[in-house]
Amino acid sequence: MNQSVYIHIPFCRKLCSYCDFCKMNYNSIFVSKYLGSLSAEIKDKYEGEEISTLYIGGGTPSCLSTSELEALCKIISTFKLKEDYEFTFECNIGDINSDLLMLLKNMGVNRLSIGVESFDSDNLELMNRYCTFEDAYSKIELCREMGFDNINIDLIYALPNEEFKTVKKDIELALKLKPDHISTYSLILEDNTLLKLKGYQSIDEELDYKMYNYIIRKLTEKGYVHYEISNFAKPGKESRHNLNCWDNNEYYGFGLGAAGYFEGVRYQNTRNLTKYLNGEYVLENELVTKESKMKYELMLGLRKLKGINIKEFHDKYNENIQNVFDLNALMKNKDLILKDNYLFINPKKIYLMNEILLKIL
Amino acid sequence: MKEQNYRNFSIIAHIDHGKSTLADRILEITHAVDKREMKEQLLDNMDLERERGITIKLNAVRLNYNYNGDDYILNLIDTPGHVDFSYEVSRSLAACDGAVLVVDAAQGIEAQTLANLYLALEQDLTIIPVINKIDLPNANIPKVLNELEKVLGFKKEEVILCSGKTGEGVEELVKAIIERVPAPKNNIGAPTRALIFDSFFDSYRGVILLVKMVDGKIKVGDTIELLNSKSDFVVSSLGYNTPKTVDTNELVSGEVGFIAASIKDISTVSVGDTVTTLQNHSDIPLDGYKEMKPMVFSGIFPTEPNRYDELKEALEKLKLNDASLTYEPETSEALGFGFRIGFLGLLHMDIIMTRLEREFNLDIIATSPSVIYKAVLTDGSIVEIDSPNKMPDRTKIKYIEEPYIYTNIISPSVYIGSIMELCQNKRGIYVNTEYIDEERVNIHYNIPLSEIVYDFYDKLKSYTKGYASFDYELSKYLQSDLVKMDILLNGEIVDALSVIVHKDFAYSKGRTIVKKLRESIPRQMFQVPIQASIGTKVIARETLSAMRKNVLAKCYGGDVSRKRKLLEKQKEGKKRMKMVGSVEVPQEAFLAILKDE
Repeated sequence: MNQSVYIHIPFCRKLCSYCDFCKMNYNSIFVSKYLGSLSAEIKDKYEGEEISTLYIGGGTPSCLSTSELEALCKIISTFKLKEDYEFTFECNIGDINSDLLMLLKNMGVNRLSIGVESFDSDNLELMNRYCTFEDAYSKIELCREMGFDNINIDLIYALPNEEFKTVKKDIELALKLKPDHISTYSLILEDNTLLKLKGYQSIDEELDYKMYNYIIRKLTEKGYVHYEISNFAKPGKESRHNLNCWDNNEYYGFGLGAAGYFEGVRYQNTRNLTKYLNGEYVLENELVTKESKMKYELMLGLRKLKGINIKEFHDKYNENIQNVFDLNALMKNKDLILKDNYLFINPKKIYLMNEILLKIL
Repeated sequence: MKEQNYRNFSIIAHIDHGKSTLADRILEITHAVDKREMKEQLLDNMDLERERGITIKLNAVRLNYNYNGDDYILNLIDTPGHVDFSYEVSRSLAACDGAVLVVDAAQGIEAQTLANLYLALEQDLTIIPVINKIDLPNANIPKVLNELEKVLGFKKEEVILCSGKTGEGVEELVKAIIERVPAPKNNIGAPTRALIFDSFFDSYRGVILLVKMVDGKIKVGDTIELLNSKSDFVVSSLGYNTPKTVDTNELVSGEVGFIAASIKDISTVSVGDTVTTLQNHSDIPLDGYKEMKPMVFSGIFPTEPNRYDELKEALEKLKLNDASLTYEPETSEALGFGFRIGFLGLLHMDIIMTRLEREFNLDIIATSPSVIYKAVLTDGSIVEIDSPNKMPDRTKIKYIEEPYIYTNIISPSVYIGSIMELCQNKRGIYVNTEYIDEERVNIHYNIPLSEIVYDFYDKLKSYTKGYASFDYELSKYLQSDLVKMDILLNGEIVDALSVIVHKDFAYSKGRTIVKKLRESIPRQMFQVPIQASIGTKVIARETLSAMRKNVLAKCYGGDVSRKRKLLEKQKEGKKRMKMVGSVEVPQEAFLAILKDE
């Protein structure tokens, strides 16, 4: 039973140099056609379940005009929402104003995810973004005034040439914004991004590691729970939508380049706008076998610091996780820990998660 | 054809003195190939041979020539030029009655000129001295003539001047071959005996034998017996190369050709064996070859353990036309199942490795090459050690001896100083210096074989700007202060990395190895000490820092499948690593230790 919905809005006013998501420059003609197709796709797939988490991401959903947002709002109204639903909307600092916030409020949005990324001018220039601390501060104040009490900010660190002190400064400033949730990502130089094409190199892994540990120490000190590799939240403010994914549960994905997981099939939508507008939504399907599902369970579940509930694992698959995977050596090395029915990666080694997974899968 | 009109000959030369080009020109003059078909170095079949400009495997070609109204058949049997392959040279020379000794008009006599000449004289062959490349602007014919007379004892009027490039003098050379090389002995009536001097595997016809007919004859349909392996086969076809393959009904005494007899089992054939027929049987084997003793040993392992059988099959096939290749199964804790292979020298090792990779598509790991040491134990017994891991316990060893080689290093005299410095660094013991003429010397040293196994030849070339040539023969075993040095990864000895070294050199060698390992092994989840030790004493150490990061920073609903694929890709990469104890070691790490000292 699907309880989560993701909707992708692939338009941006400006393209960031590191981003490899499905995105394109804003164009009002495309947007209107796109919303038509999106509506059709939803009607096609949605089976009327009660939805507990809804997430509108991008691209930059906040770059849409008022009328476009109103049209989007109408599309969203198709979904039956549970009483305690979580509805996240991604915003760019520059797009935030009282009109937008009012519209989102009316749409039912109760969580904002704001792309800050960094306050450092060198970093911002490299990313082709713009943001000042003062701007972010006043915009977030505005959000609070308008009644939004669940706000996430995104940060990126370990950019090429970045120094330790820059991360320190970024975190200190971010904390002043008092967000309820912080996502901090060590930069991945993805193929086909401007940064990669320009030949930039990742920073030294020792420095990256030092930055990561600093972030964890500082944010935990300030009362944030480190609940996933790159995610921190005030207690009770964890992203329910993303937890649903890391719990390996199914979810709808609508829109260009979106991915979903429905009735045992993981599907990937096309990134080709023409095809999408013609109603050819899906690019590929992956039938998830039991064996493969258990692997996903591990790959996703261990991202959570809390780990995997092995009793629930047993209920779900009728198998003992330790019989399915050979975990002995890793447990002996204390790379993996089993405690109070939870199997989790030693927090000191969470930054080596892939290395650990490679030994299991 | 009258038997007295056969001539079986080889061409011998130092590398690069133009042997293959001269052979091409002879083929052209005898109309074996026309100019249109001519492709450079026709006798060098293997890609590897043409690429490196050296001849590795022998090849026999039959040529027709009319001289003074009589038809002659000339069998040209090619020989390799490199020092490692003197075994192959003696094999081909055994099928000959004469040899053309080629000397470069600009370079003069070189180390392998001497080595090959001695091999030919051992076989009692008629030698025709030739000065080649006389068209070169820097040719110095009087000087080389003088060397041939003074050093090798030829008469000036015996020497033929020619150029493989322009063809000048080649006709005269062919005539000299007919006039001077004796015809093979006519034993057509005697019980049949043929010498196998080479063989190769053809997937349609089975093992093909290249033979020199010594006595009697063999016809298609005859049943042949290989005397040594005592196995019988019915001859399905006979023939020779011109260089195109030509089938014939019989091969008779004096001829050189091939036999196909649907021989499926590679192991029944050994080069040097004698072929006879049931129809005209002989019980007396021909003199085979002096068996060449391998001098350099290395463990060869498939990167993927499940390809051991393929490696075994490949070695069997290589052995078929390379009798000098010896091997036995070896097991390593670190590398699994493989073979300990004996090679004639480093070039031979390099060629075999390359052939395994190219012709058989195998990824292999080779351990550090070793020579045969002799350990004299306290109880007086002697143990031969061809692998560091066969070294007896130190307390049981009275002393160790190692093989030395005696060198011929021919060089312009201005480089005497540099050469002596190099030889001293390689623990050489000076013997003497012979003056070939005012400007050139032959320097003799006794040097431990283990020291030339690595980079001696390359160093010699760079010390002398390429002017020195080098050849060697095994001389004797001498006592040496040798120790076994172990390499430890994360506290565990890696058997495949152990080496035997001279005590005085152990420290620097240990430092080099651990440094190379640190550079070529990727970081692991934990810090890995890399140590070199003698017994329990650590003499060098490097530390491989722990891996700090391997994580997907971002993984949400939108890219779960893609991130999984990324993991699978990383997993594929891991497969190319060898698990050595708790440490993952890439193939490159083993190679790094072998390459550039």
